[in-house]
Amino acid sequence: MRMIFTIDRWRAFRPDARHLGGALCGLGLAMLWIPSLLATAFGAELLAAAFWVWARATESPREQVARWSWLRRPAQALWLAAAIQILVPELMRTGIGRGGAVELLRWMQAGAVVWAGLELLAALPLSRPFSDLPGPLLAIRPWLPAILPAAGFILLWRHQEEWIGIARVRDIAAVLFLLTAWLAALRAFGRLQWLVSLRWLLISDSALAGVLVAQRVVRPEVSMLLWLGACGGRTFMLASELRSAAPRRGPVISTLWRAAGWLSSTCLSWPILLALGFGEHAHAAFALAVVFPVVLSTWVIVSRLEEAPERRMMMRPTPPLTLGHLAALLTLVIGPLGLITAARGGFQAAWPGAPLAFLPALLSGVAATVVLGWRRRAAGITADAPSVIVDPAQSPERLDAVHRLAALERVSERLRAGSRTLFRWITGFERRIVEQLARLGQTLISPMHDLHTGDAQEYLLLLVGLSLLALVVPLLQ
Amino acid sequence: MNGLTSHPYVFSVSATALGLACAGMLLTQETRRAGWARAMSPLVALLPLGLVLIAAGQVQLAWAALVTALVIALLARNEDDPLHSENALKMLWVLVPALALSWAGLELLTLATGTAYVQEQWAVLQLGLDQPFLWSTALPLSLLAGIVLLGAAPFHFWVADVMQGARPWLAPLAVASLQAIGARWLDARTAGIEAFPAGATIAQGLMEIATLVALIGGAATLAMQRHPERRVGTLASLNGALAMCTMLGRPGSAGPVLDPASGGWVAHTVLALTGAGMLARLLPVSTGSVSIAPTVYRRHPFVTALGLYSVLSLAGVPGTPGGRLWLEVARDLADSGHSWTLLALVIAWLSAFTVAMRQLRETLGVPTRFAPPSANVPAVVRATLAIAGTGLAVLGIAWISGGGPRG
Repeated sequence: MRMIFTIDRWRAFRPDARHLGGALCGLGLAMLWIPSLLATAFGAELLAAAFWVWARATESPREQVARWSWLRRPAQALWLAAAIQILVPELMRTGIGRGGAVELLRWMQAGAVVWAGLELLAALPLSRPFSDLPGPLLAIRPWLPAILPAAGFILLWRHQEEWIGIARVRDIAAVLFLLTAWLAALRAFGRLQWLVSLRWLLISDSALAGVLVAQRVVRPEVSMLLWLGACGGRTFMLASELRSAAPRRGPVISTLWRAAGWLSSTCLSWPILLALGFGEHAHAAFALAVVFPVVLSTWVIVSRLEEAPERRMMMRPTPPLTLGHLAALLTLVIGPLGLITAARGGFQAAWPGAPLAFLPALLSGVAATVVLGWRRRAAGITADAPSVIVDPAQSPERLDAVHRLAALERVSERLRAGSRTLFRWITGFERRIVEQLARLGQTLISPMHDLHTGDAQEYLLLLVGLSLLALVVPLLQ
Repeated sequence: MNGLTSHPYVFSVSATALGLACAGMLLTQETRRAGWARAMSPLVALLPLGLVLIAAGQVQLAWAALVTALVIALLARNEDDPLHSENALKMLWVLVPALALSWAGLELLTLATGTAYVQEQWAVLQLGLDQPFLWSTALPLSLLAGIVLLGAAPFHFWVADVMQGARPWLAPLAVASLQAIGARWLDARTAGIEAFPAGATIAQGLMEIATLVALIGGAATLAMQRHPERRVGTLASLNGALAMCTMLGRPGSAGPVLDPASGGWVAHTVLALTGAGMLARLLPVSTGSVSIAPTVYRRHPFVTALGLYSVLSLAGVPGTPGGRLWLEVARDLADSGHSWTLLALVIAWLSAFTVAMRQLRETLGVPTRFAPPSANVPAVVRATLAIAGTGLAVLGIAWISGGGPRG
């Protein structure tokens, strides 16, 4: 009886999965900001635990737990980095650590931090497609995966001193950031659902911001401001979409968000293109490679953010200035503020680099605006009788609009299908490589499994074999 | 606290006493099958194992044979349990030939040098009077028993077998005492070898290769284990590899592993194996996907948490005494410049940590609307989990206040 009472009391105190996961997630994200790697590792572990708590409480726990179990890997990598952070300074202080071992530890630490950040940013093949799927918590499922690339960038930004100094790790990370920006932009363009596209845009922008950090283009606070402008706005939009598509309710706020998205993309890409294309350590191929995701993500954010169709019979009174308006205005301001801070901090832009670096985002945004306007006009003309057969003699203008709209939709769909195919091909290729490596690893370690068959004779044979080896080894010396 | 923990043997005595107390409590469960006197009689046989754990740094090598024989006899005694008998047979087939081969190595060394004293053997061999063939063959053979007794891969199978097949009152003490005597074997057989550089080179090379194989082999095997008991056994095998790592940088000095003043490794091994081994018996075999939590967690969540603390500590998870032990060993390896072994240690630690966290998640399972089974887990089992977990927590606190497992 006493035991039953104890269990009941425990159950009464046990918080439900939603609140427990929320608390763990909040605490985990907060701990990512702490400079100590130990705290960061704990934060990443809490984040993984939060997803696990939510996943195990869903209606399909098997599927959800398996889907989000990869989140332990970044945490694991960070624990390793934290352990090394404890070891290395002591070895350096006492002067007893041999150079090779300390170098190896530093290399491992940088690798571990970058691994964790890259995996959260969907920059490694192991976890690449997570943004295609909603999160495990029912109430905010579409929004939830958005916190992972944010956590990845915060982690890489906060601990940049641990990995930027190791040239090989930094270079590999920069290449992976770029590949991720490409793939994420492709996916954002290819997906029809606006929410999914937004999630992929977050990854693309975070990866571009990662290039900013890896290449040390601007000071850390500037890279944070530029990332915040781009990704903060997208995250807010994603969250607001869950509240009746608030950022697309009405012409003013949708225009405001479109401008904010465009400007933040432009501000984020400008210093990267300037430094890589025209800076001291210019790298033309790298700069050209950055242009593609910039153009594509700007196109998506400008052309796809369309005003939501009003289906309500009775309008609710809405205040002229909402939180959405303020957030859009803030997003509009943060990007330029970052560039001003960079300029005041010594970031220099010279002719012709400065205007040229603006061009990809600028031209993409202009083209997207033109096409958007064109589509609206065509849609407006055909809206009166979309399903009626149009007589060419009576309304040639309407017929022309119908044809143009159909052609535009055809081209658009082909491009989207192409980007989907390309994304699937690349990720499939990555997945095959990973599977082959895993198979190779399993083949290599399968003899270990054979040692556990339970036959005592095998044990003795093994012992005799090793003893013979012990006898033969000295003879070979 | 400092005054208490600086007293020699305090850790190893306390941990061994707790381990024996748990074994005694668990033996009371056996009284249902046999009479009281017959059921409790193995406790007397467990006392020598406890003695070896307390004084592992001082005992003679002959104790290795005695402890092995005692463990095999205790396993063979329970003829009703097929797993016990099978374990006894396996131990007989593995440990006895290993001891025989090593004894042959010792005799060959005695033959080559004309003395049975280790320090004198190195001095005689340094004179270079004999051909190196004899001693360079005898030296690796003489170390073999230590590696096998530590349960380091590729000899790790017996540890997992004992943890899975032996009765819960015997398994942790048997594994811990055999591992302790294995560490003592390596320690004693390499004492003062630096006086004979050629021999030190061979011993060092052999130990380095053995440690690498132990860590990588243990890590690879651990990832494939599905039975919780075998997971704990393989973690114990990695614990043995840790002891080898400590001795790697300084032949003939087991340092914190067997130092009675700190007693860190022995105390931790006894407590962690007691708690983790007990909990593992209450958990289901891993299927690779989530399922409903086992009864022990649904009925007794706090006690399960203490048991999980033992598992986590055995795996070296940060915040546990085991984590501190792994860190100390890593520091030793970095200090002595063994970069490859350090890398292998990192791989082993990551594997252990991952498996421990997987075990934790599998233990917590998924929530269910159904009420837990009405029957409680036996009180002695819960007491064992609680004692081991609390003991480890106290050990961790003592290390924090006393400067770690080195004392």
